[in-house]
Parts: sequence; structure tokens; C-alpha cells
Amino acid sequence: MPASLRDRRLLLPLLLAPGVGYLLLFFGGPLAAAFIGSLRLEDGSFTLTWYIRIFTRPSMLRGLGTSIYYGVAPVIVSLLVSVPLSLAIRRHFPGRKLFSGLYKLPLAVPGIIVGLMIIVVFERGGFIDRAVAPLGFGLPKLVRDDWGVGVILASVWKQIPFMTLIITSAFAAIPEDIRSASRTLGASRLTTFLRVEVPLAMPGITAAVLLTFIGSMGSYAIPDIVGPPTARPLSVLMVAEFNQGRFPQVFAMGMVLSAFAVAVLVAYYSLTSRIGDAHGRGDAR
Amino acid sequence: MTSIAYPATGLTSPRKRRFTREDRLPVAIGLYVSLFLAIALPLGLMFLWSIADGWPPPHVLPQSYTTARWAGVLGDDGLLRAALNSILIAIVVTFATAVIALPTAWAMARFPFRLKRAVEIFILAPIIIPGIVVAVGIGQVFLALGLAYSVAGVILVQIVGTLPLMIRLMTAALETIPDDLIHAARSLGANTLGIVRHIVLPLAVPGLLAGGLMSFVGSFEEFDKSFIVGAPVVETLPIKLYMYLDPYSMQLPLASIVSFLLLLPALIVFVIAGRVLRDDLMAAGMGKI
Amino acid sequence: MSMLEITDITKDYGASRALHPVSLCVEQGEFVTILGPSGCGKSSLLRIVMGISEQSGGEIRLAGKRIDMLPPERRDIAMVFQSYALFPHMTVEQNLRFGLRMKNVPKAEQQTRIAHALDICTLSGLTSRMPRQLSGGQQQRVALARAIVMQPNLLLFDEPLSNLDAKLRDTLRHELVALHRRIGATSVYVTHDQAEAMAMSDRIVVMNAGRVIEIGTPLELYRSPKQAFTAGFLGQTNLLAVTASGRRAQLPWGQTVDLATEAIGPARISVRPESIGIHPDDPRTRDTGLSAPATVTGVSFMGASALYTVSIGDTLLKVSHAGGDALIEPGRTVALTFPSRLPVLEDRGEDRGREDGGHAAEAA
Repeated sequence: MPASLRDRRLLLPLLLAPGVGYLLLFFGGPLAAAFIGSLRLEDGSFTLTWYIRIFTRPSMLRGLGTSIYYGVAPVIVSLLVSVPLSLAIRRHFPGRKLFSGLYKLPLAVPGIIVGLMIIVVFERGGFIDRAVAPLGFGLPKLVRDDWGVGVILASVWKQIPFMTLIITSAFAAIPEDIRSASRTLGASRLTTFLRVEVPLAMPGITAAVLLTFIGSMGSYAIPDIVGPPTARPLSVLMVAEFNQGRFPQVFAMGMVLSAFAVAVLVAYYSLTSRIGDAHGRGDAR
Repeated sequence: MTSIAYPATGLTSPRKRRFTREDRLPVAIGLYVSLFLAIALPLGLMFLWSIADGWPPPHVLPQSYTTARWAGVLGDDGLLRAALNSILIAIVVTFATAVIALPTAWAMARFPFRLKRAVEIFILAPIIIPGIVVAVGIGQVFLALGLAYSVAGVILVQIVGTLPLMIRLMTAALETIPDDLIHAARSLGANTLGIVRHIVLPLAVPGLLAGGLMSFVGSFEEFDKSFIVGAPVVETLPIKLYMYLDPYSMQLPLASIVSFLLLLPALIVFVIAGRVLRDDLMAAGMGKI
Repeated sequence: MSMLEITDITKDYGASRALHPVSLCVEQGEFVTILGPSGCGKSSLLRIVMGISEQSGGEIRLAGKRIDMLPPERRDIAMVFQSYALFPHMTVEQNLRFGLRMKNVPKAEQQTRIAHALDICTLSGLTSRMPRQLSGGQQQRVALARAIVMQPNLLLFDEPLSNLDAKLRDTLRHELVALHRRIGATSVYVTHDQAEAMAMSDRIVVMNAGRVIEIGTPLELYRSPKQAFTAGFLGQTNLLAVTASGRRAQLPWGQTVDLATEAIGPARISVRPESIGIHPDDPRTRDTGLSAPATVTGVSFMGASALYTVSIGDTLLKVSHAGGDALIEPGRTVALTFPSRLPVLEDRGEDRGREDGGHAAEAA
């Protein structure tokens, strides 16, 4: 039916236009403009100085390092908690269903509020500090301290439910028959877990790790509220420069952060394409 | 192969091989205690701050309580305006996102085309690129266009954040409509408008609901982009909260109150959505830092 | 001593009982099929034998030793799954090697066994493929090879052919039978397909609603079923209520038949459609003594045979007639001849009135 085919060719761009068009206009465009802007001096000539500054100026270099630190450190801590947690949730225990709903609550809490929570609980003069005071010692500086413990705690608080969620789904997607098959071939529960389940859940686990890394590396509100003023990540530095109107520098910093995010994603896609669809034709349905 | 009459290895004496009920109880207790300490405790403390009439150290619990602050919320113009802004913006953003997303989701769900993967990635990009980067990129453009410091500007910039998820959720919902349904409708005489009204929209409702809830909550709680584009002229609740947490003029009681105001719709939606949505969709939507 | 002894195995889910006490024995080298409709408990039973499900009561012995308390990896049983359950992240060879490594089989012997299994299952050349690159039939063969490479005491099959299309199913069925003849492993095969069961098995265990209904060779169960359920489930049959006096019995419409065993009073018999002779235009149609004439009411041409529905009195019979040049049209009067030594059914009430409609089932 030629008429409808013609329709289709016209129809498709028309349908895609609102969504894709909007994003091109309000996201792609500004981002491209920012990229270009990061490479220009005031007089319009091409320059890399804004990028060079990031990697040479001590404050900015420290900012980059802090961004990466705020990306990596919480993820490691979260993994250490999420993996055992998702394994614990798999088994039956009293109140399991309720728990499975409750542990996801932090997902609904925006970052600023988590910052407030950290302050209320961990800050000097906060709850824990006062609670242990009668025992004769005070809480070490955990908020706005040099190690950014407050930032890590806040990030971890939000990340653990997210990671647990994804990791649990990854394990749950493995067909039960594959576990049974492994057992019938002589593998114990532990061996089955290590040799069969973990490799098959890897794409999901990797996705969780990478997404949370990108998220906490680029986060602004939490480091700004509970992070030390002496070690501000690029995201916070960016806003300071923005408020001063030094846009090219801001753009360069933004591009660096984005480059990290994109690189991480590319790594993820290339890693996981090797395993392919883990649950795919293995059961030929 | 002849069957081995007796197996060579370990048919040892039978032994118990799985956890008994009793083992599970300490696990359950441990998990619930951790949950309480991690979630209920901070929230409870925040609540105490909101009703405490001064809470100086070294007291572990407030000595006197007052509801004056909560009552005072109604009289605080700035706070009321911020709340109104948040609600208004969230409603407009949700509606606009749905309208923009629907045709695009339909295209993604029903048409195979060559650049589909690229488009998928592009649609996902606003979530991958750190929010603050998106914010400053758009912020500068809006400054130049005069859209900064306006409610319209905040709405426009927030839609960038809500569109990706809405498109994905709706695509998933629309993908489930079998082609045959539409063919059957056409054979019964329905034209395109009729099909949209009677088949597509009703079947897209689950995706619309899920996306709508996510968008509303997402917009209500959105900070990075609204802050860059709107503050200090346009204030939303998250921006107000941010200001109460300024290290030099921290106001914990007010901050706590605003936090609860912020959390309320999110938690309601969360509870409703928890029953309706699949876990992976939730994770994609709620995983904000 | 049998290779596999299942004694009074039960399985309860809360208050409801999925398996009533089930007992059966499998001799060494035998190919036994557990046959029954969906939900009859056959897969549950298999999973209990395998150890991936726990029984509520009863014992299982393999080669004389009790195994029901052991975890699956210690039972020396191999299973072929309906979904094949191949490890998607391993090649064919790694899949085959997996179990051998778990049991610490020496490297040299691993190679021999793998090569042997690949050969019998006609998989040579596919060793480095991933499961997703294989067709359904190939995947099933790999699942099979993975099991036989273990040289287990017992091979279990959980409806392995039901995911394949009909042609492939036929092919693989023949291969399985040939394989069994070649390696002679004691095998327990679960299926709902009665043709499959009859074609492959040394003996069949018929199950329904969590109970063993009857056990016997395919021929026994087909020709001389003892239970109405068996008669109805294996192939097609006519279940008829008769009045018996010794070795003779009278059909509802007056015709008398010859029984295989003695019986007195009301009884039920099973008559296979192909064993009833159908004779149109026969002088016998005018035979009095019958309470009503037999009339053909329907005919289905099946190619090698024709299936007739014949109405006689209140009864509707299925009669199958092979060959012949012409079909008997509906409306014709025919004479029916019945074979001798018809099996009398021991009615325990499990048939739930499948074939003949109005029979009331006894309380279980």
C-alpha cells in the first residue's frame, strides 16, 4: 500500500520531532554551545587554556581529584554493603516482603535532604555527638572534614538501595533451571554462586556500579552542603565560576565531567557486549 | 558405557542441608535494626528539630516543644510562594512532558528505523550527563535569552530532566500493544483519531501514570537545574531548603519542616508506585544523587 | 535390588497434597517413563528424586543407598531440563566440562568422556560455540551430552522435547532411543505425550492427580489396561459399562462380548477403536437380539485410517477402520464385531468420568 508507506516516511520524523526536537533544542544545543564555548577566548579565538587550567591549577586539579574521589569511594562502600544485602534479601525471612519495600525508601529522598540528615546525625553538636558526650568523648569531625566522610556517607545512603535493587534484579533474572542444572552437575551452592550466578549477573552489577559512579561524581548539592570547603569537587567549583560569569571555564569543567561519564558508559557497553544476552537463547523459548 | 553399580564418591550419611527457620530470625532482626537506624532515626531527629523549642547541647532530646514553627509556615510568605511555585511548576512540567513524550514514544515503540539506537542513547543522555553540567549549559543560554530568573525558564529546563524517563516508560507501555489490535480496529472502520482515542491512550495509561508520577516527583524535588536557572528570583522548595542549610546561617528547624514538605508527595507517590511499577523502572527513575 | 527405589514419597504444600504416597522401582538399564497430564505431579516427583525439591515424606534409594537427605550435587544423578538450562556464558565444551571439573575427574579422562559424548550426540564441530548460537535441537543435544558425560547412575529427563517443533521432536526421540540402547543408562523420563511414552519406554508409570495409577509395559497398558484412566489416556478408547456373568458380558444394547477375566455384575471394559470390526451392508445388521441398530453418525478421514462415530442405542462409539477403498457415509447401518478377551477395568474412581461422561467418581 504505497500511500501508507509514504505516510510512514513522513510520519516518523513528525512523531519523533516533539521529544527529540525538544531535547535537541534545550539539551543538545546548549551542550554543543558549551563545548564550543569551552574552546574560545573572549575575542573568539581557539584556545585550550581553559582545559589546561583544570589540569594545572592546583585548586582545579584538586577539584578534579575530589570529583573522582567522590565518585569512587562511595561506590566501593556501597558495593560492600549492597552485595551481601541483595543476597540476604533473596532468602526468606520473617518480614521479607515489607523489608523489600522499605529499603527502597531512600530512593525517593532528594540529595539535599540527605545532606540535612547527615548534619543532624553526624555533625559536631548533632545527635550522635551529644549521645556519646556523657561517655567522655566526642565524635570526630565527620561533616565538612578533610576526608569528605559526610559526603561519602550521604552518597552511600542513597546508593545502597539503588544498587541493591539492581543487583537483586540481576540475580533474579537468572532462570532457576540454570541453578538447578549446576547443582545436578555436582556444584555446591557456593560454587554455583561464584561460577554461574555472578558471571551471569555481572552486566547488571556493572551497570549499577557505573551509574552510581557517574551520579556521585557529578553531584552538586551533597558536596556543597556537607563537603569541606577546602576540597571542593569540580561540580561545586563550576557553580562558583558560573556565578562569577566566567563561562568558558565553567564549560571546560563541565566537558571534563561529561567526558568521564561518557567514557565510563562506553567501557560498560564494550564490556557487556561480550557476554551478550545472558538469559537469551539458553532456554530456547 | 555400562552403569557403575556403586558410585565411587561420597554417598555419606545423610545430613541436614538447609537453613532452618531459626537461622532466619537473627538475619531479619539485624536487617530491620539497620533499616531503623538508617532511615527512621534521621527522619525522627529531623522531626524533633521541627517541633523543638530550642535544642541546645548537651541535651540528647529536646527539653521543650512547640508547634509554633509548623504553624508559622502558613504565615511565611516566602515559604508559601516557594511551595506554590513547586506545585505549579511540577504540574505544568508533568503535563508538558506527557504531551511531548507521547508521539516520540509511539515512534520508538512501533517503528523500526535505522538510527533507533542512536536516538535511544540521545534520549538517555540528559540523565547520564551530570545534572549540573546540563544546568550550566542551559543556564548560560537562558541568561542570554532572558529566560533566566523566570518560572517559564525553570519549567523549560526541568522538562529536559523529565523527558528521558517519560519517553522510556511510555515506549515500554506502548510496545506491549499488539499490532493485530490496531489492524482489527482498522478493519472495523476506525480511523487514526479513533485508534488513538480508543486503543492507544487507554492502553498507554499505565505508562502515562508511571511516567506522570515520576515526572511530578522529579520536578518537585529537582534542584540543580532550577537553582542555576531560577535562583534567587524564582524559589522552589528545594531551593528554599538549600538556603536554610547555608553553613553560616543554618536554620535546622525550618530546614526540617521544608524537608518534610518536600518528602510528602514523594513518599505518597512512592508507596503507590511501589505497587504498580517494576523495580528496574523505579531504580531508573528514582536514582538521583 | 533395583537401581532406583522410590518408597512412599509425598509432597505437601501447606495443607494441600501434591503427591500422595508414590512408590516405584526402576531396574538397572531400564528406560521408564512417568506419564500424566499437566499438574499430575510427575515433574514434582522428578525434582524430588533430583534433590532440587524436598519431599515431605518417604525415602529414595539409589543403588541401595539412601539419597533423599543428600543435596543434589552428591546424588550422582544427571538431569536434562525442559529448558535445557545451558550455561549461557560458557561454550559448548565448557558446559560439558563443568560437571567433570566439579567431580574432579582427571584431565585425560575428561577429554575422553567429552569426545565420546560429542560423538554419540552428533555435536562434533560445535565445541566452541555459545548456546545462543545453537538451534533448539542442538541445544537439546548439548544438554543431553552434558548429562551423559557424567556417567551417572541415573539419568532424569524433564519433558526435554516439549519445546521443539513436531518434526524435530520425532528426530530427537529416535536419537534418544538409539542413545539409550547404546549406553544403557538407567533412565527416568517425564512427559505428558502418550505417544512419546509408548514409543520410548520399557515401562510406563501412569500418574494423575498426585498418584500412581498404573505401571506396566507399553503393550500391557495399551492392550490390557487395568484402570479407566490409563485406558483413556493412552491413545483412544471406548469405555463401556457392561453386565458380566463369568467370562461373558452383555453390552448395553444387548450384544455379548468375551472378557479376559471373570467378573460378575456391573463392570467396565475398554475397547480400542481399531479393534472393533465395522461391517456395512452385512446380513448381520438385520440380526435381531440387538436392542437398537448401529448407525454411522460421523466420519473423519485420517489418511491411513478412518475414524467413525457410531451410534448404537444410547451409546456413541469410536470405531477406527484402516484401509479400504470407500468411506462409509453417515446414516448407514453397520454391524459391529468385538474382539475377544476384553480387559475388565478395576475402577478406583480416578478417571473422573473422562470418556463416557456420566460415570460418578468415587471419593478419593
